[in-house]
Amino acid sequence: MAVAMSGLGVAFIRNIVGSLHLRLQVLGGASQQLSCLHTSISLDAKHWERNNRKVYPPQLPEEPRRPAEVYHSRRQIKYSKDKMWYLAKMVRGMSIDEAIAQLEFNDKKGAKIMREVLLEAQEMAVKNHNVEYKSNLYVAESFSGKGQYLKRIRYHGRGMFGIMDKVYCHYFVKLVEGVPPKPEERTGFDQAKEYVQGLKNRTIIHSL
Amino acid sequence: MMNLSALVHSLRCSLLRIESRLLQISGLDSQLAPALAVNGPSLLPQIEQDPQQDEEHDPEQTPGLLDSILWMAAPKKRRTIEVNRTRRRAERKLIKVKTNIEPCPECGHLKQKHILCGFCYAKICKETGLIRQQIKQMEGGPLRAPPVETVILYEGETPSEQDGGKRIVERPRKRPAWFRN
Repeated sequence: MAVAMSGLGVAFIRNIVGSLHLRLQVLGGASQQLSCLHTSISLDAKHWERNNRKVYPPQLPEEPRRPAEVYHSRRQIKYSKDKMWYLAKMVRGMSIDEAIAQLEFNDKKGAKIMREVLLEAQEMAVKNHNVEYKSNLYVAESFSGKGQYLKRIRYHGRGMFGIMDKVYCHYFVKLVEGVPPKPEERTGFDQAKEYVQGLKNRTIIHSL
Repeated sequence: MMNLSALVHSLRCSLLRIESRLLQISGLDSQLAPALAVNGPSLLPQIEQDPQQDEEHDPEQTPGLLDSILWMAAPKKRRTIEVNRTRRRAERKLIKVKTNIEPCPECGHLKQKHILCGFCYAKICKETGLIRQQIKQMEGGPLRAPPVETVILYEGETPSEQDGGKRIVERPRKRPAWFRN
């Protein structure tokens, strides 16, 4: 009961601070200075989405063009974070079209959910984040996190029991505009050369 | 959440107390460390054999249990997270990227090379369902299919000479492009 009440109270405070955030952003100029206004209660539940609200100062004409970034996530997916990790690892560094294609033909449960998240993020990018071509995006970051678990009793023989966890996970993705960067290919020879160089660089410090 | 864990903890404590009490009573309490995990010969066979061969098995009762504990395989050390990670993230356990995905020439959705396009197949299934509904209406009950072939005609089509003795199913729409006579 006390837990439920405190839960409601936390949600109430969260709503107030959330609306405060938005109002202050509209009024204030640079939101970076005001984004540090938060209470000690863990409001990090939506930390990833807050990255979307970051506003950079206007670029000077000689600076290279900063690529657009979109942050998106889905919370409390009924799936295991370890199983979701394999899909997130596959998708990392792919272009968005390739990622969506691979997930469409993957038989895992998380693949369907992940594909929906990527499509949502792509739509958000085109609508709200000034991305010109929806195919010109790639997955810069993609990872899964543990959600809030429910606990249940699992009955064993001889009156024994265990506590079963009903697992949930979160999935986070960051799309960046542009061509996906090529992963650096290091051969065994290069690695061996670097190792030998490291050994050669050893010296006695503070010597004469 | 907290009430459930407190309840579970109290249940566990009471069960442990009952178990230790039972062990004391039966006389098999030889300070077994993992009391909940022992899976050797249970109490019941001991009780059965007691009246039969009491003197022979008495010196062997406790060594019997100890022998079974020594025989069961158990991990010696906790596997570290580094060891676990190298096993779980090994190359063979990662998902392989498929290279046989291509766009369907008919509808443009993606398909695998050796599998029918999902969208086109769904489209055909839908139309087939409607045809089957119409046939069901025509027949009016189970096991009434006539022993003749069926031909499906769309709007503005007449049966040709080959479709002489066949049953005709009419669909009130234009012939779809993928359904050629």
